[in-house]
Amino acid sequence: MKFAIALFAAPHQPASRRALRFAQATLAGGHEIVRLFFYQDGVHSASSNVVSPQDELDLPREWREFVTANGLDSVLCIAAALRRGVLNAEEAQRYARSAANLEAPWELSGLGQLHEAAQQADRLVCFGGQ
Amino acid sequence: MSKSLLIISRQAPWSGPGAREALDIALAGGAFDLPIGMLFLDDGVFQLSAGQQPGQLQQKNLGANLQALPMFGVEELYASQRSLSERGLGDSELNLAVQRLDDSELTALLERYDQVITL
Amino acid sequence: MATLHILSHSPFTDSRLASCLRLLGAGDALLLTGDAVYALQPGTTNLQALQLMPASVALYALDEDLAARALQAPERAQVVDYPEFVELCTRYAKVNSWL
Repeated sequence: MKFAIALFAAPHQPASRRALRFAQATLAGGHEIVRLFFYQDGVHSASSNVVSPQDELDLPREWREFVTANGLDSVLCIAAALRRGVLNAEEAQRYARSAANLEAPWELSGLGQLHEAAQQADRLVCFGGQ
Repeated sequence: MSKSLLIISRQAPWSGPGAREALDIALAGGAFDLPIGMLFLDDGVFQLSAGQQPGQLQQKNLGANLQALPMFGVEELYASQRSLSERGLGDSELNLAVQRLDDSELTALLERYDQVITL
Repeated sequence: MATLHILSHSPFTDSRLASCLRLLGAGDALLLTGDAVYALQPGTTNLQALQLMPASVALYALDEDLAARALQAPERAQVVDYPEFVELCTRYAKVNSWL
């Protein structure tokens, strides 16, 4: 079955970890993830500027490794990301900001990507909350 | 055939970007000609109060954006009659033409859609 | 088209569970994750409300969230792990997460 997975939670919220474990189980179960879409505070879960204490879970890193290892299509809503200060190099330059905190494999794009993924998928599963 | 999507908006209008970002999903879907419905539930019905002055909070007028929904092809607009009544808006005029549904009608509404996002 | 509803907020501080219970369809299911598993706390009105759901509404809870909070699932609820969580999503026509 084809899944579209949308994350609405920052990495310090339990829902970010839950979404990642769910996504891993999806692939392990032989299913396909058509796209990961990060919206609202979910954009923080892709930030490369999060520094976790050494003995704590580093969720943005885990997300990055998971996405890279599986070659997943992974998109952040650009409007939600800009509003929350999650910028790739291109956007940092466009808005004359001093730092970028979003790298590959993540892409910035519009909400149309969420709709497209939902249309392609058999199931849309959203994660947020405590 | 495109899959239909119901967006259930539960956030009060000025508690953060939540209400606007729910609306943005609906507008984007409408712009792609997708069958989108929007239901205002719980504190989400406060978005529908008439006469709000978001300028006082230096916020953009969400109500004006809500009124753009039909222009984007999002014409299936609903509100929970219970949520409105509980919040003293049961008999109030609203800033958007919505169908008011009771609980059993909400259950039937949810059943009709292929997908749903509640935020 | 039956729906799997996913909750993740504590019902003691939040109205999502109450709203969800009001619009549940007869064939729908409820999956408690995160703080929503506190709804299974014994001797509470939240658990009572869940026990009163029609038998046709399936109730699930995520195992790690129960264990982390020292909660036991009552007989009414089935405990699921992540592979079963995924499987549940395939079994219902749509998934409604109360974000």
